[in-house]
Amino acid sequence: MHKRISSLARLGIFAAIGLVLIALSGFVDELRVYQGAEVAVYVVAIASITLLTGYSGQLSLGHGAIMAIGAYAATLAFNGWHIPWMAALAVGALAGAVAGYILGFAAARLSGPYLAGTTLALAVGIPSLANQFHVLGGEQGLTFDIGDVPTWASHSWLAKIGHGDFTTYKWFYWITVPIALATIWVVRNILTGPIGRRFKAMRSNPTAASLIGIRVSSTKVAAFTYSSSLAGLAGAMLAMILGLSAPLVFTLTLSFTLVTGAVLSGVSNLYGGIIGAMVLVAIPELSASVATHLGGSEKVTANLPGVVTSLLLILTVLILPNGARVRRSK
Amino acid sequence: MLHIWGIEMKTILETLLIGVSSGSIYSLMALALVLVWRSTRVVNFAQAGQAIISTYIGYESMKHLHSYWYSVLVAIVAGAILGAAVEAFVMRPLAKRVRGSAAADIAPVIATLGILGLIRGVAGLIWGNTFVQYTSPLSGKGYTFGSTTIQFSPQNAAIVIGAALVMAAFAIIFNFTKLGLALRASSFQPEISRLAGIRVDRIRVIGWACAGAAGAVAGALVTPTAYLSPNSLDLLLVSGFVAAVIGGLDSLVGAGIGGVVLGIGFAFILQYIGASVTFLAAFIILIFVLLVKPAGIMGKSGGRSA
Repeated sequence: MHKRISSLARLGIFAAIGLVLIALSGFVDELRVYQGAEVAVYVVAIASITLLTGYSGQLSLGHGAIMAIGAYAATLAFNGWHIPWMAALAVGALAGAVAGYILGFAAARLSGPYLAGTTLALAVGIPSLANQFHVLGGEQGLTFDIGDVPTWASHSWLAKIGHGDFTTYKWFYWITVPIALATIWVVRNILTGPIGRRFKAMRSNPTAASLIGIRVSSTKVAAFTYSSSLAGLAGAMLAMILGLSAPLVFTLTLSFTLVTGAVLSGVSNLYGGIIGAMVLVAIPELSASVATHLGGSEKVTANLPGVVTSLLLILTVLILPNGARVRRSK
Repeated sequence: MLHIWGIEMKTILETLLIGVSSGSIYSLMALALVLVWRSTRVVNFAQAGQAIISTYIGYESMKHLHSYWYSVLVAIVAGAILGAAVEAFVMRPLAKRVRGSAAADIAPVIATLGILGLIRGVAGLIWGNTFVQYTSPLSGKGYTFGSTTIQFSPQNAAIVIGAALVMAAFAIIFNFTKLGLALRASSFQPEISRLAGIRVDRIRVIGWACAGAAGAVAGALVTPTAYLSPNSLDLLLVSGFVAAVIGGLDSLVGAGIGGVVLGIGFAFILQYIGASVTFLAAFIILIFVLLVKPAGIMGKSGGRSA
């Protein structure tokens, strides 16, 4: 496969990349910085799909709902217990993991289209719950305001690189980028370790996997739990950068978007997720500029991104049904 | 006391009728999913999109034909053509590419999701994301008996009758015609059917066309009771899937029964608990059916892995 780099060395490389990315935030305008934070959120969300679909072979259309669970848990914990935002994000990941653990028991007994359809029902069902319970804030949702940028960050040497004020958007970027990099590092270690090998064995041939002593159903539950904890974390991050958790954020379209991002990056390609995330953020902006160039109406601006993403999805599946980089386990 | 009891009975009867009406729509959607599942072993998540386009085409044709009923026919034909096109131009090439690979299970599902997104986007580009009204000549006001008016309108009656007619038509086609035999044979054993001279690929296209037509009927009948927008039928997809699973994904009769059972269930939840829990209830029903009786109420027992 690849040259062997120890995971500790990789951690060092990632930390260096992270520092460079953060330093770069001084040189671009606020919109780009915010988009950078969006990309970081999508990287985590796509990693959750990659782990589940790419490695354990289960397809979930309900990860938008898991993200909603993570987002609401983080928001409620942050507002209710007055804990630091970092702890709130952890609560989001934990809530996602619990949801995934429960869902995993059902999922372990379902295959292919049944799992897809069941998770689809979840994707529709969970966000609408916000309207049922007052504590969830109804259609308006709940605000998630992490407050001003702490002085240790805005007065640090890193903040002095480049120009411009230290805005909240920049702070979001500073928070989300290291989390995204850490996620990739952790997931990579999981997937190249014994757990990842178990996932791959189960995906390639469940019968053979069970014959060599892998307990298929508990492995499936484990895959769902890991994946959902990432989805919960991504949901909490999304709520943080948007400043709110609301049902309108966690639509069916979000769940589909995540699957699209994962497929575009090659479902079993962890690093590809970064490209997938960038495509997801870039498409709406690119198509908006194309739409205005065409002198387009609101119709075009609103629908072109969906058309482009869906076309990309169909073409990717038709041309590279097994993912952009096929890695067959031998 | 008797009076209160009377009101209660009226509410229950109304809820039941509304449930049967919306359940008929779920049955049609479930029927569409079952037809595709039987012909190609794919759950067609694009069904909602196909139904939307056919309904929009019906809506457009009504401007020229000035008749709702003719426009429903146009929608049905459009739905059939679209269904056939999706199978012939996307799903069949894809199935040939992924046969035997690790992605064989997942790639078709993702492709149908892509088609759903594409159709919704295109519908939005053409007709915009605002609600339009596709009206039927039938009244949307409830029937009146003496001094009480119930919530069940002539359009609701048309939905129930229309769904029943479509179901009956498919039951006859499947059980009493050569085409039906070919459809059943090629879903049961494609290789052997091929050897017996059935053109399996062509039969599959017909299966998708039938499904597209059934979905179009659902869209064209339900839309006059609400509005039409590029994603107004999305929730119908979820209900249709749940209904199909309740009935056993393989059974046409099951799709019919599953839809009505789900419709009545939803109507009572809506009446007595609240709208926001209906889809969570759908999820719980789905999990329950899949874990307790995975083959559905009309399915044969035995494994159910795709």
